[in-house]
Amino acid sequence: MTSSPVAAISSEDIRGYLATKLADAEHIELHDVAQIAVGWSHETWLFECHYRESGEPRKLGLCLRRDPGNALLRHLSDLGEQFRVLKCLERTDLPTPKAYWFESDPAILGAPFLVMEKVAGACPSPWGRDGRAYYAGASERGILPGEFTRALATLHTIDWQAAGLEFLGRPEPGTGFAEREIAKWRELIATTEHPPEPILTDLICWLEANIPPCDRVTLVHGAYRTGNLLIDDDRISAVLDWELQVLGDPMYDVAYVLSDLNREGTELLSNLVARDAFFEDYEAATGFVIDEHRCRYYNALYAMRSVAFWMSASDLYATGRSNDIRLARTAWSVPVVLDRAARDLGY
Amino acid sequence: MTPDELLQRLSQTLRKEIGPAIESEYPKTQAFMASVVTQKLGRQVGLERAHERADAAELDALIGDLGGLLEQSPGEDRVAAAIEDLGNSRDKVRLCAVIVALYAARDELGEVKFSALLNRVRLSLRANINRQMEYAA
Repeated sequence: MTSSPVAAISSEDIRGYLATKLADAEHIELHDVAQIAVGWSHETWLFECHYRESGEPRKLGLCLRRDPGNALLRHLSDLGEQFRVLKCLERTDLPTPKAYWFESDPAILGAPFLVMEKVAGACPSPWGRDGRAYYAGASERGILPGEFTRALATLHTIDWQAAGLEFLGRPEPGTGFAEREIAKWRELIATTEHPPEPILTDLICWLEANIPPCDRVTLVHGAYRTGNLLIDDDRISAVLDWELQVLGDPMYDVAYVLSDLNREGTELLSNLVARDAFFEDYEAATGFVIDEHRCRYYNALYAMRSVAFWMSASDLYATGRSNDIRLARTAWSVPVVLDRAARDLGY
Repeated sequence: MTPDELLQRLSQTLRKEIGPAIESEYPKTQAFMASVVTQKLGRQVGLERAHERADAAELDALIGDLGGLLEQSPGEDRVAAAIEDLGNSRDKVRLCAVIVALYAARDELGEVKFSALLNRVRLSLRANINRQMEYAA
């Protein structure tokens, strides 16, 4: 299926594990087991777990995510933290999958993994023709755009301390948030064997010289866009992809929504939401004023992050840690992002 | 057949014959992606010598212009040293060092001088990235 360096697992392996967790369950059977090959991060299986408890039939839709050990952002995103974040978010109004179990012991299924609820819905990719058509249709129907904005507003107004998310690390007041992000992506770039890129150096120097102060700390998703949201009947049934979340400036997420990187062939933000409606609804729901100047800064920071992603991704292939040719192709994404970054810097 | 022509031919074969013949989703995606990679690599290899010549000429002009701009207002040793290093090594590492030195010396240089020097560097960076985009886009 994919180029995982860890041993393959079977339905029977998963069934055996579930038998240890569902202590009162009998006759456990897995149905509709599917390994989905989306994303470049963790391996994902979806299935239905049928069993009997006290003689009564039960059914549990589950999603298992396993760390293949060579995933993109491997050292920045571990399943243990994802599990912890999802557990915290269960106590909030944000729609997220219920997290059941996390196992760090590779002896169980060959690598660390988590098991969470399989939430109803679909996650159309916004990049293909079908996905673009889906979101264009949803935009016209009018329900999903508001859902998109409201879910982001909910995410940004979560009482993250009460939810127990302080472990994500509160940034230093003032410029601490952006400084921490720059340091994080600089560190990822340093782990690669990619040759130096003068435009990237210029970009980083510019970012360091122009850091805006962060006046409000919220939970930040880090990749809030269509494609990372599960949708069921024009409603967001779950916010997914909890790999880049931080505590920081909510404008970081807003900048991502506003970015033209996240739309294709349309003026609609994330292929879905009219810009004016997003501003109006987001500001009304959060009480925050969207700071476009700060968003432009974060857009430049996203360019640095993208370059770090692509350098890291292409390096995984170049150094033989992955055989996925999609990663090799990202070597040519580096100049594309740098070209865009240079234009943003005015040249 | 030159290496770039061979890579382009391989790309065509992967896209038109091998990819469509594969039924399983993951290896099919891999075949098509290999076609994209070999196509881009073919274009890059084909342009390599012309780009190397253009980069070298660009660097000569950059070093000369930066030296000229500094001569008009000497006094920033770090920048001058970085430019001299660039002239000696002529590599991207030293070009990055020039950019870092410029930002570090911004206050001493003053905004006008800083902008003049950085804009001259950026002129070369734009020319270089335009060349890279001939095969990367």
